[in-house]
Amino acid sequence: MSTTPTQYAHPEALIEADWLEQHLNGKDIRIVESNEDILLYDTGHIPGAVHIDWRADLQDPVIRDYIAPDKFARLCTRNGISPDTTCIFYGDKANWWACYALWAFRLFGHDKVKILNGGRDKWKADGRKMTREVPSYPQTNYPVPARRMDKEIRAFADEALAQSAAKKPLIDVRSPGEYKGEITHMAEYPQEGVLRGGHIPGAKSVPWKTATNDDGTFKSAPELAKIYLDQCGLKSDTETVVYCRIGERSSHTWFVLTYLLGLENVRNYDGSWTEWGNKVGAPIEKGGGG
Amino acid sequence: MYPEKLQNIIDLFDHLPEVERRETLVSYSDSAPKQQPRPNEKFDLEDVRKDEECADTVGVYLQVDDEGRAHIRMTLGPEVQTLTRAMASILCKGLDGATPQEILDLPQDFVTRIVGADLVRVRSQTTYYVLSRIKAICKVYLDRQRAREAEIRLPA
Repeated sequence: MSTTPTQYAHPEALIEADWLEQHLNGKDIRIVESNEDILLYDTGHIPGAVHIDWRADLQDPVIRDYIAPDKFARLCTRNGISPDTTCIFYGDKANWWACYALWAFRLFGHDKVKILNGGRDKWKADGRKMTREVPSYPQTNYPVPARRMDKEIRAFADEALAQSAAKKPLIDVRSPGEYKGEITHMAEYPQEGVLRGGHIPGAKSVPWKTATNDDGTFKSAPELAKIYLDQCGLKSDTETVVYCRIGERSSHTWFVLTYLLGLENVRNYDGSWTEWGNKVGAPIEKGGGG
Repeated sequence: MYPEKLQNIIDLFDHLPEVERRETLVSYSDSAPKQQPRPNEKFDLEDVRKDEECADTVGVYLQVDDEGRAHIRMTLGPEVQTLTRAMASILCKGLDGATPQEILDLPQDFVTRIVGADLVRVRSQTTYYVLSRIKAICKVYLDRQRAREAEIRLPA
């Protein structure tokens, strides 16, 4: 009997533009744009969308970490988000940063999250309405989360090392050249100070883009299952760690594995290659195709 | 200290609150296509390439007139980020009429006054990219000019 899924494990986590267009003013939803291009929101966005920047809003300004729970509460409060608000994330680059922001919201226990399939580029390409009007929502009183869900959905370097040593699944979602150690960053992107190239020993190479169609939408459940379950051998009950360069592309794959395929034990190593490639004594493999 | 046109732009941004600063940057970004080379324009140097620091192709075109004053045009690929577009527009306008040496000697501290400390902090590599490209083409121009002058001084 085939076990190939015919539909996404959590189809409710993915919404289509047609639905969103009909629910722009929906009660208890907040549309959140999150981009690589920091001024892109200012050039036009989906009506009613707020802007949350991965660096300015979600990361601590001093140490390399996410904001503290009280700052997350303030971020939600000023954007009119309550614990009952369903946040619909979208953005540029086929939703890299949208998935990153969604993952960060999950870190703080905000579970009502969705992704707009195809992201900003498809919305715009379809000729749907955009505006430069910045919305204002009544402030909420978002309670300070008791803790971050680091243990549940985030992996640190020592955990990635343990994963490698135990020969448990590690998925490297960077480009093949980065995986092989030929380059230390994506073509046409900043080199962010990585001293060594290659991949974590035992990691398989499955570039993030493997999960998407040309228009940035996600592939179907059977297609994703073939890639990640059949070809990579990932299983729901096995711990899986995904990583990239700074954690944004791996957030995309984390979303695919967690929400679209329903794997229950996937963690994002957000320190990723910018940490591993600089870490003294960290083992590295070069070459190979994963 | 700065070329007059650039100083005027710096003065404009110096007094803008953050929201208006972003709006003004977007306006400059919107007008970036006006800085493209015009038909039949001739240039002394052209530098069109993709760099690590930028998501798409950026072209810089330098023309130096009979009075030694630089005129810069730029082309930007569709994936180039908004902040880069804005800086291209600002610098093409602000540096128009300055000499290549003045451009090369320009201290880069004005960039923070235009873009604002917050944007510089979160996107530092993007912010300085266009200035570095313009300075690079001016340096090549000056190096070649000096080489030509040295050749002329050599005895036959």
